[in-house]
Amino acid sequence: MSRTLTYYPGCSSQASAVHLDKSLRAILPPLGVQLRDIDDWNCCGASVGHIEAGHLANSALSARNLANAKAAGPEDVVTPCAACYLNTHYVNESIRGSEQLKGDLNEALGVVGKSYDGSLHVRHICELLVTDVGLDAIKAQVKKPLTGLKVAGYVGCQTVRPFANTERANKFDSYDDPTFLDDFTQACGAEALPFKMRTHCCGGSVSVMSPDKGLHLIKELLEEAQKLGADVISTPCPLCQTNVEMYQPEINKRFGTSFNIPVVFYSQLMAVAFGLDPVKDAGLDQNIIKSDKLLGM
Amino acid sequence: MNALSPTPSRAYDLNFARYVYENIDGGERLRMCMQCGACSGSCPIGQQMDHGPRKLFMMIRAGMKEAVLTSNTIWNCVSCYNCVVRCPRKVPITYILHDLANLAVREGFDAAKKADNARFAKAFMWSARKYGRTDERLVTGIYYFSFGLVEGMKRGMGNQKIALNMIKTKRMHLGMPHAIKAKDELQKILAKAQEIQDRHGKGA
Repeated sequence: MSRTLTYYPGCSSQASAVHLDKSLRAILPPLGVQLRDIDDWNCCGASVGHIEAGHLANSALSARNLANAKAAGPEDVVTPCAACYLNTHYVNESIRGSEQLKGDLNEALGVVGKSYDGSLHVRHICELLVTDVGLDAIKAQVKKPLTGLKVAGYVGCQTVRPFANTERANKFDSYDDPTFLDDFTQACGAEALPFKMRTHCCGGSVSVMSPDKGLHLIKELLEEAQKLGADVISTPCPLCQTNVEMYQPEINKRFGTSFNIPVVFYSQLMAVAFGLDPVKDAGLDQNIIKSDKLLGM
Repeated sequence: MNALSPTPSRAYDLNFARYVYENIDGGERLRMCMQCGACSGSCPIGQQMDHGPRKLFMMIRAGMKEAVLTSNTIWNCVSCYNCVVRCPRKVPITYILHDLANLAVREGFDAAKKADNARFAKAFMWSARKYGRTDERLVTGIYYFSFGLVEGMKRGMGNQKIALNMIKTKRMHLGMPHAIKAKDELQKILAKAQEIQDRHGKGA
């Protein structure tokens, strides 16, 4: 049975994580999920909006998205981006828990004739895949199992923290030892390596703005993946994918290493395993470090 | 200096803890902190902080306002939320650090003007306000040049290869910034939220 959900792609869907957006739009319809984008969605403020704008103004960014989402219908809002999920889910839950915040944000929305009542449910797409779609439905779509592909599942931070183990996230996984990504890998027929750095931080936006502070964190991740003999690192997070991939030459220069490990989204692996087009649907041409093994599958 | 909290010029301000409890997002939970250090021990970047969160929270209690708001702790947080999920007293540490950073910006501390994260946040919100979306090219560009023309050029050149890779893989486009249709509407909402925020004299 197919159903339509409200989709919040986030700014990275038009830039550094085009291939996440592209592969999701390819794999979700076969899994029975149609996406309807939030009308004219705006930026969520990510990890830094709060610092410059303050709590209320930063929350107002999400409030407008939620108002637009609600105006289109009561369906759940799903997002693939860790930061979009974090902010939108947090603001939504805060509105539900605080009459003061709800009042303040509605006063702000009111200047343009919008309002939001807090009635939506904001969910991460990975949580949707775990809870509603289920591994069996994913396995049922696999036409080209990724046999022999060794995958280090790198979950990162905000996909699971601080909400994965809460009621409103359907307790879809744990904070420190999440297994959903390995489950996705195995559902695709690939081998999930025991990658113990799965929830270590890549430095997030701090690695972008101050590489001196964050690159050693990425180096540690890569070391572990290399030690395990990973063919690819798989991740659900747009910023993790970009940081861990784009900085490899710089890390090699600074630390005398020789990393060249492809970093892909779980949805790209699924697209290939589902037998969809590796370029048009999986967007494998958009990874800076190409995985010959994956491209040859 | 546009002081928001009481007696901004004193090194020890015994009202500062109360101000944080009552005005900082999540600050009321700070009363529950039992100084166990799970936060500082969980922090992936703690070694690069002047003080870990545990110590920073004790400094808040001691009224060391200026030392708190000029420490690099509030700028170095990588938003990994390890501390938030591990805190046995459910103190929303990451949110508190972000709101303290915002307080440091609003009070005009020099350290808050120079911090990487503050410069980056400024560039980021500029794009979010102007276009309704984040343009990764403009945000990093404006951020690099916030250090001056020469340093900006240096940083830009240093990241040339990354930028080229992103362009080649069509993850950085060359045209106008992506923008929402109702920019005016978003700007009005944000201005009103800012006004309400200022009316409360706090971060909501």
